[in-house]
Amino acid sequence: MAIRNESLKTNLTGYAFISPFIIGFLAFTLIPMFISLYLSFTSYNLFTSPRWIGLGNFEKMFTNDPKYWNSVRVTIYYVFVGVPLRLAFALFVAMVLNTASRMVGTYRTIYYLPSIIGGSVAVSIMWRNIFSEQGIVNHFLMAFGAAPVNWFGNATAALGMLITLSVWQFGSSMLIFLAGLKNISPEMYEAASVDGASPVRKFLNITLPLLSPVILFNLIMQTISAFMTFVPAYVISKGEGGPLDGTMLYSLYLFRQAFMFNNMGYAAAMAWVMLIFIGILTFVLFKTSKMWVFYESEGGGR
Amino acid sequence: MRKKTALLFMVTILLFITACGNSGSGGSNASGGTDGKTLRIAWWGSDTRHEYTQKIIDMYKEQNPGVNIDIEYASFDDYWKKLAPQAAANQLPDIMQMDVSYISQYAKNGQLEDLTPYLGSKIKVDDVTENVLKTGVIGGVQYGMPTGVNVLGFQYDPAILKKAGINEIPDNWTWDQYKEIALKAKDKGIYFDSSMAADIFFNYFLRTKGQSLYNAEGTALGYEDDALFTEFFGMLAELIKEGAVPSQEKLNQTKGILEESDIVKGTGIGIWQWSNQFVALQRVVNRPMELAPMVGPDMEKGIYMQPSMYWAVAKSSQSKDEAAKFIDFWINNQDANKLIKGERGVPISAAVKKAVAPELSETEKQVFDFVAKMEPISSPMSPPPPVGSAEIIAALTDYVEQINFGQATAAEVAPKFRADANAILSNNQP
Repeated sequence: MAIRNESLKTNLTGYAFISPFIIGFLAFTLIPMFISLYLSFTSYNLFTSPRWIGLGNFEKMFTNDPKYWNSVRVTIYYVFVGVPLRLAFALFVAMVLNTASRMVGTYRTIYYLPSIIGGSVAVSIMWRNIFSEQGIVNHFLMAFGAAPVNWFGNATAALGMLITLSVWQFGSSMLIFLAGLKNISPEMYEAASVDGASPVRKFLNITLPLLSPVILFNLIMQTISAFMTFVPAYVISKGEGGPLDGTMLYSLYLFRQAFMFNNMGYAAAMAWVMLIFIGILTFVLFKTSKMWVFYESEGGGR
Repeated sequence: MRKKTALLFMVTILLFITACGNSGSGGSNASGGTDGKTLRIAWWGSDTRHEYTQKIIDMYKEQNPGVNIDIEYASFDDYWKKLAPQAAANQLPDIMQMDVSYISQYAKNGQLEDLTPYLGSKIKVDDVTENVLKTGVIGGVQYGMPTGVNVLGFQYDPAILKKAGINEIPDNWTWDQYKEIALKAKDKGIYFDSSMAADIFFNYFLRTKGQSLYNAEGTALGYEDDALFTEFFGMLAELIKEGAVPSQEKLNQTKGILEESDIVKGTGIGIWQWSNQFVALQRVVNRPMELAPMVGPDMEKGIYMQPSMYWAVAKSSQSKDEAAKFIDFWINNQDANKLIKGERGVPISAAVKKAVAPELSETEKQVFDFVAKMEPISSPMSPPPPVGSAEIIAALTDYVEQINFGQATAAEVAPKFRADANAILSNNQP
């Protein structure tokens, strides 16, 4: 009896300490999630109570909303072009920084900066100015005799600019890559040098395989966050996703449905479809990872 | 030990509860005091607006001791994001600023108080013309009180007009004259305008033909003949194609950035917009500017006094009388309006307009004069846009962009827009 009491007490103390999280998680994550699941089967405009319409929202989404499919297309393009570019760039910078140099700490900090401030409204506004009609990018182009580009003028240029902005925020992936690179033992490279391997060969046969777990991690994290990108598209297109819906990312379209058009039910349904899609994609990435990710601890079988 | 644990638990719970309690009133600027009445007022706007509105509220509090006023303000976009959940929670401010494009939604969903019983008693309106007062009526009920009015027009730089080889904007000009003049400017390498905001000016065009963008009940589009769509947007696209108006690509690039607009750079003659935007435009252009009436024929049928915004009272308000009194103060108090100076549109009371006149700058005076000139010839406003109009305007803007990019013709798009718009409207019927 005494022992039981004692352990109950210990448990209670534990629960008390984690209660802020538990309560917060329930009140601000789990319960809202279930409410949103319920709303996704309703028509709800915030003013009148939700009306149950079954699968109506999903039906409209999949069969009767060309704008929805456009936003899917734009988002997939954004993710599938942006994420590989960002990872490649991050890896490149990480490898450069991995070389010994006295200033390396400073450089790391500087290159990481865009990631800290990257997703913010201020940067998106700065980006708007850089690419504006009289912005530095166009001045630069003109200095080389090229014609200025209307970056916000047509759909392709605007999406390209968004992707550039996402590549520029490579810092967090870079840091993780850097840590991974430091973990590769220099002996491997030395041995390869002795065998007369070229730098390209070393990169392909040593760096990439040994780094593949880190690449997988970065790939998954970056893909998920890229699907959820909202702020840059919102600020750069002034919340409209233009021109010609060229920057209408999924989350921006969701936001517009929810807060501009007050179609809360439809927006909730969109959010759930996105969640399921990201879940499937992550699952697929994990499954395929067996084919290309190399874990040293498993032994050098592959 | 047990006591301590329990205590800790209680403290945690308490913290949590108080945190929740606070978030309920977050964002408001509570000013304490339990006796007397408390009013909550919400509006959107720029810093200038916040400053003078605060001064007016202080003035009101001074003259009405015992009244507490809590204020909430935000930018336009944030304002509506905040207001909708408040409506859902039945916690709307007593007095709120309403926009023409949102008022139907709040009125139709039973969020707003009918102001009719207050008119003449709590809110003095002897000095307000019927046409203007009626702009706050939705479905036969006075839900909003206009704070001031605007009117559409062409705002231009006469010097650049001359440079383009045009002496003046002709009186009672027609669409044909407009095209002719625009093309003349183009020959001199000058843009005539920056196209027209699709929903507003299409509605104007339809009104000159005796129709409107939405029908009176807000259940469908207000015009039957898609040829009108083709005529209007075909003309705008043609002017872009001819080079009298910048390309859609360039329009997108400079959209919303006054500093980069052609009129500011001296390569464009003017802009089509609401009269209250004239002051800000002139300040950036920094050259003498003028206002010209809209294009006809039947301009008189097309133009209307548009409320820049309304004051509305929440149905859930506990102090409606006090709210009405404040609105009356806003509309009729001359000292207050000397601070406002028409920033929320040209005042609707004739006496106030007269009293404010000597306080105005040259540019503000131009606006007041222009509105005064247009008011007697204008026609009643069509009912405020129906619920769902935001989605319709977004669709229209998209289609027009496609036309201007040359991806579709106006004739191809017209039936698509009709189908989309009617679907959205029927979707929003209760």
